[in-house]
Formats: sequence, structure tokens, C-alpha cells
Amino acid sequence: MRNFILKLLAALMLFGAVSSLMASAAPVEAMSTHKEETYKSQTMGEMVGNFLKSTGIVALVSPDPEELSATGQHMSDFHKSWGRVIMILITFLMFWLAIRKGFEPLLLLPIGFGGLLANIPIAEIAGPHGFLGVIYAAGLSNELFPIIIFMGVGAMTDFGPLLSNPKTALLGGAAQFGIFGTLVGAVALSQYTDVFDFTIQQASAISIIGGADGPTSIFIATALAPELLGAIAVASYSYMAMVPIIQPPIMRALTTDAERKIKMTTLRHVSRLEKLVFPVMVLSLAILVLPDATPLIGAFMFGNFLKESGVVDRLSDTLQNALINIVTIFLGLGVGSKLAADQFLVADTLGILALGIVAFSAGTAAGVIMAKIMNMFPGHKVNPLIGSAGVSAVPMAARVSNKVGMEYDRTNMLLMHAMGPNVAGVIGSAVAAGVLLSIFNN
Amino acid sequence: METNLVFEGLKFMALGMGTVFIFLITLIGMMILLSYVVHKYFPEPVAAPSTPKAEPVPSNNNKIAAIAAALMHHNQNR
Repeated sequence: MRNFILKLLAALMLFGAVSSLMASAAPVEAMSTHKEETYKSQTMGEMVGNFLKSTGIVALVSPDPEELSATGQHMSDFHKSWGRVIMILITFLMFWLAIRKGFEPLLLLPIGFGGLLANIPIAEIAGPHGFLGVIYAAGLSNELFPIIIFMGVGAMTDFGPLLSNPKTALLGGAAQFGIFGTLVGAVALSQYTDVFDFTIQQASAISIIGGADGPTSIFIATALAPELLGAIAVASYSYMAMVPIIQPPIMRALTTDAERKIKMTTLRHVSRLEKLVFPVMVLSLAILVLPDATPLIGAFMFGNFLKESGVVDRLSDTLQNALINIVTIFLGLGVGSKLAADQFLVADTLGILALGIVAFSAGTAAGVIMAKIMNMFPGHKVNPLIGSAGVSAVPMAARVSNKVGMEYDRTNMLLMHAMGPNVAGVIGSAVAAGVLLSIFNN
Repeated sequence: METNLVFEGLKFMALGMGTVFIFLITLIGMMILLSYVVHKYFPEPVAAPSTPKAEPVPSNNNKIAAIAAALMHHNQNR
């Protein structure tokens, strides 16, 4: 490292001396030879030849055997040539999905563009000195950005529906079965078959996709399996975008017509004091039960507390808008830097995508089934359609519950009822994440 | 002996789901208690039906009429 800097300095000094002597030296060509230790006068032919060697076409067709990946490892020729082309095409597909299909464009566009930049040969944008690498080191490898996103999400969350019907929190708990069910499945397949070969840390990081919570997935993936971060983040956000496609068939399959038409009692009014005490209460509980979950829950409740306090609208407004937008850009680009061909075009990625959708579906199903179990007990009936909102994916999952409910009874508004399990799901997946961290931290 | 990863996974599940449910059930209890305490000891002042105050329309109209008259007078005098 130091050697490299010294050489660079020496080269720069020499270049300065040479260019001051020969003021006619063309500066543009000289810039592209910064890897040369000394500057030699070249004929125009040589210069053009060397310049052509530094073009992207040549780098893609006949890659430099010495080139190392962003993590400093050797790459196969496939990953340096066709792999990059394939990845760039995949990012184009992501642009199409984001722009044309409206799939989570706020994240897919930065992630996709980050992926595009990370697959450029020679420039090493995702390397330790490239700007994507710097962004990654600044906020992803230390888990900062997901936490800041959590603050913003907290400032946007209204716990009113949950406070007015507390028992719906159970639905948010049940949906976390998606995480642990998939974890068992993934380790079973890794141990007894050759389908996957994941360690238990990797399996845990992958199954958190079932929590349907992007920041939590990124938080856990960076902590437990950073090598899988790109695929996990992409799977997590893609499935969240596909909630309206994935969930309804599962919800219909598990419910009867009569259940889908259950009307729920109107939500009671929640006083401001309750909303103000709630975030502190959740955090206190987390401190007592599971300190490992407090980074996520603490940030979430901080944002919510600022909002509910009602006296710092400026800060709450910044969290909800400016800050979360800025961090989303950096988070997306940083995750995109992990879409480099050598890290993404591996067999594991397909396994992650497959396990992710299993986790998502299992979580949805568990939430619906939990609602049916709750209906076996006396008390106000719960429409099982809101069970699916127990996977976090705020507020998309709640909207899906509402939409499916309206299909069967146009007067049945489930949206606010579904927001209860929805926000409980966020707390639930943060707790589940905390449990996994606590297991591996000891 | 090689650790049985599947058994490990099942243990994770038991601990994880157990913790999630204990956490949320405790939270439900605390929410019910909170609502009880808040409603009993800190009831929100019943928001008085805030009928918008009747605008002093007539007096405003009078003023407008007076201003209009004054303007007209002013313009005519020029």
C-alpha cells in the first residue's frame, strides 16, 4: 500500500518534471498512463496502441490476468469478461423493473446503477479506493446506513392501529416463522443434500429475508455473511416489491370465503400520551429482554419518539424526508457495489433467491394461520387476511390485505386493521434479528 | 461428532420464535395496561366540538362597503 503511494508520488513528480520540460506533451494521453512508473516518450502509434489496450472493449474481451476483484481476490476469466456483461444486462433489467413495472424504484434504481458501476472493468469503482467502495466502507460494513433508514421508518410509522388493537401484534410475531422455518430448511438442505452449501451463519442471514424488512436484512447480512450481502439485499427488496403478486394466492388458499368477509370492530381512538409512551416502552422491554436487538429497535423508536413528541417537527421531518432520502441513495449504491460479477454470479445467488421466496411465503402463511387460531378463542374476531400483513413490508403488505378483503366485500376496509400486525411485524423481525445476533455473538 | 446442523436450526427456531412471542405478548400486556392507566388517570381533555367561530360577516361587509365608498369618492374627486 505504502509502496504504491510512493510509486505514485514518484511517478507524479517525474511527470511534473517531464511536462514542465516538454510543455508540448499532450496532457490527456499522459493522464491515462498513470500506471507507468516513468513517462517515456512514445510515438503516436504506440500511444494509440496503449490507449486502445486501456479501453473497455479490450478489457472485456481479453481481461488482464493480474486484475484482482474489489476484495483483492483472484477472479476467473468468466467473471472478468462475460460475467460483467451479464451483470450489466441484469442491471438494465432492474432499471426496467423499477421504471416500467414500478418495483421499489427508490431502491432498485440506486442498487441497479451501483451494480452497473461496480461491473466496469479497469475503473475499479467498487474497489477500496473507488467511490462505491468508499461508500460501502463508510456506512454498510459498519451497519450505519440501515440503522439510519430505520430511524426514518420509525418517524414515518404510526403505532395507533396497534395500540388500539394490541392482540394483532401476535400476527406480526407469527409471521417471523418465515425466518426460522427457512433457516431450518436451508441448513437441512445444506447438510443432507448437495443443493446448497450454506453455513449456519449464511443460512441465518438468508432466512432474515422472510422478515420482509430491507434494512434488517442488510443489517444482519453485513454482520453474519457480508459475502452474500448483494444477493440478500436484492432478493429482499425484489420480494418486497412483489408482495402484491406473492401474497394474495397464499392468502386465498388458506382462508374460506366466510373468513375473508369477517368485519372487524372499529378501532378506538388512541390518545397522544399512549403514542408518546409506546416507543419508550418497547425500547425498555428490548433493553431488559434482548439488548442485541436494541440498535435496530432503538433507532426505530428514536424516530418514532421524535415524531410523537410533537415538539421537534423539524427533526422528524428531516428523518422522514431529507435524511432517509440521502441515506437511501448511499445504501442503494453501496449494496450495488456488491453486485460485481465475481460476487453475484455464483451458484449461491440462485439458492438465496429460492430460499428468500420460501421464507416470504412461509411468513405470509404463518400470519394467516395465526389469525385463524386466534379466531378459535372467544373475543372479537380477526379477519385472517390481515395476518399476511404480519411480515413487515410496511405499508405494502397492509395494502394487499385491504385489497384482497375489498375483492370479497367492497365495504370491508381492512387497511387500518392490517397496519397493526404490519408495524408489529417490524418489531418482530427486529427481535428475531436480535436473537440471531445474540446466538452468534456468544 | 459433527454437529447436527438441522437440530441446531430447530433450536434456533425454538429460541427465536419463543423470544419473539414472549416479547410481543409482554408488549400486548403493557399496551393494555398503558391504555388502562392513560384512560383512568390521564384522560385526554374531551376536545370541545370546535365549531368554527361565526365570522363577523356583517361588520366586515360594512367595512368593505365603507372602503369601497371611500375609494369611489376619492376617485371621483380626482
